Amino acid sequence: MEEKKLGLGSTVATGVGLIVATSCLLSLGVGASTVGIPFIIAMFVCCMLNLITAFSVSELNAMMPNLTGGLAQYSLAGVGPFLTIIVMVGGYLVCNTICGSAECAMFGNTLSTVFAGAGIPSQVYCTVLLVVLILANLNGIDMFAKIQDFVAYALVASLLIMGLIGCFEWGNGQVVHQSTVISGNPKDIFSLCGLAFFLFLGCEYVVPISKQVKNARRNVPLGMVLSLLLVFLMQAVMVIGFSHYTPWEALAQSSTPHVLYGSLLLGKAGTIWMVLVSVLAVTSTVNTAIASLGLIMSGMAKIKLLPSVFMKTNKKGAPYVGILSIGGIMILINLTGLSTTDELSFLILTGCVFWMMAYIISHLNVLILRRRLPKAPRTFRVPLSPVLPMIGIVGTVWMLYNIDSNLDVKLRIYKLSIGIFLLLAVYGAIWIKKVMKRPLFKPFQIKEVMAMEHELYQKYHK
Amino acid sequence: MELEKLVKVEIITSMAKIEALRLQLGKFGVSGMTVYEAKGCGVQLGTQEFESEKKKAPTLLDKQVVMMVLLEKDLNDFLSFVEKELYTGHIGDGKIFISPIMNVIRVRTGEEGEAALLEGEL
Repeated sequence: MEEKKLGLGSTVATGVGLIVATSCLLSLGVGASTVGIPFIIAMFVCCMLNLITAFSVSELNAMMPNLTGGLAQYSLAGVGPFLTIIVMVGGYLVCNTICGSAECAMFGNTLSTVFAGAGIPSQVYCTVLLVVLILANLNGIDMFAKIQDFVAYALVASLLIMGLIGCFEWGNGQVVHQSTVISGNPKDIFSLCGLAFFLFLGCEYVVPISKQVKNARRNVPLGMVLSLLLVFLMQAVMVIGFSHYTPWEALAQSSTPHVLYGSLLLGKAGTIWMVLVSVLAVTSTVNTAIASLGLIMSGMAKIKLLPSVFMKTNKKGAPYVGILSIGGIMILINLTGLSTTDELSFLILTGCVFWMMAYIISHLNVLILRRRLPKAPRTFRVPLSPVLPMIGIVGTVWMLYNIDSNLDVKLRIYKLSIGIFLLLAVYGAIWIKKVMKRPLFKPFQIKEVMAMEHELYQKYHK
Repeated sequence: MELEKLVKVEIITSMAKIEALRLQLGKFGVSGMTVYEAKGCGVQLGTQEFESEKKKAPTLLDKQVVMMVLLEKDLNDFLSFVEKELYTGHIGDGKIFISPIMNVIRVRTGEEGEAALLEGEL
């Protein structure tokens, strides 16, 4: 039997890992500078909505435990292969590879700014970071967890401490006397939910590592919930801190609001600390993305949604083909400079449309499986079902509607999403018909999905 | 005095799960159980989940049977607990048979029904 190596601490670190990215710190500054402290209300609503997603994913994980990757298998059993391919390839593989690349670019830009005298191009920093993380993840889940535990907890502790220093006005910088509420109008506050939603995306990245988690029945749901609450607490404290030390106008104009806050709070020391926070945030996000996407690809190969080569593991048990592919593409995107183009944030938002579709499908999967197998034992059940999953669906659709405050940008995102959807639909239909030889929309039986996890399944089903 | 209704629960499951189940049943407060090794197959006729063709003739696999008697009022909680403990989602998680018991007698003391199942003062 495979030894379980990860405890609750690593589970929370993984959950926090993907959620807290440098881009989130930017969004935090934008949101806070738009309405002030009431942005915490929008954050709370979005945190609750993501908690419902965590509940749904936890119930699916309880019904189909110990699967490699996990997320693709749930949808295969719930809604069939066609939608599974679209949301997994669009929402996870493509979206998070681009997001990871953008994060790396921010890391490179930050370091090249700090060490401007060295004359090293930002791409070199990105590539070095990616190579280090690829090599670490090729050393197996142990190495991933060691890096993740250190990086995620250092990140959380740093932001919490910096936030609390600001909250209690303990900084050595000048305290700003300004109104803490820029707008208390509910319309203004709730229009920021689309932005706040991105501060909490990604807690389900705990699932791909669940096979290696001790007492997964307890630790997987608890890890997701704790990571969301921890992130909410940390970011709420930061918003209050912003209000005491950063003029709202300066915060709105800053491309690195957390660094601005650090320097106004503690001077040079604060700047250095927040630059370190940026480095930690990027490392945490990219480390989680490489490890989890590698496992998701391996899981997708097991259920025949990707070529079988992605199932291959090295001596340390790492799915090296997926890790090298994801890491390699991230390096390529950074070396070609694509990760720094103006259109990148637009592409990330488009990818997020598919990511949110994956959330909607997770809630649907819960409802479908409750109907199909009402009496199957579940070690975790979404409370108040079907009400909460339905709130999750409606809430996520509302977030999709509010994905950007600019109508033109929103329409462009929708148009591109439809285009990508059609492309993925053609790819998915051909793959399912020609390679899998299965109906597009017929869900797999859970017993078949579970059987596909067995190492001998591929041998018997060539 | 009317005796509490008793039920017999027989759990057939694979060898791999029995040790974890035994430990968990202790935590649940089960006062006694009998475990015996068996051979058998279910509706799959012994076909392993990864095999592509269903076996034509039954193949008997190694199984264990856990037998215990408990009060009918405790049955639902007990079944919910055991089902969750045994559940993996894979074929072969097991089956649970439930049947009524007319009476239980502790030979040494002659106690009957619920009293025969619990640790008594006699």
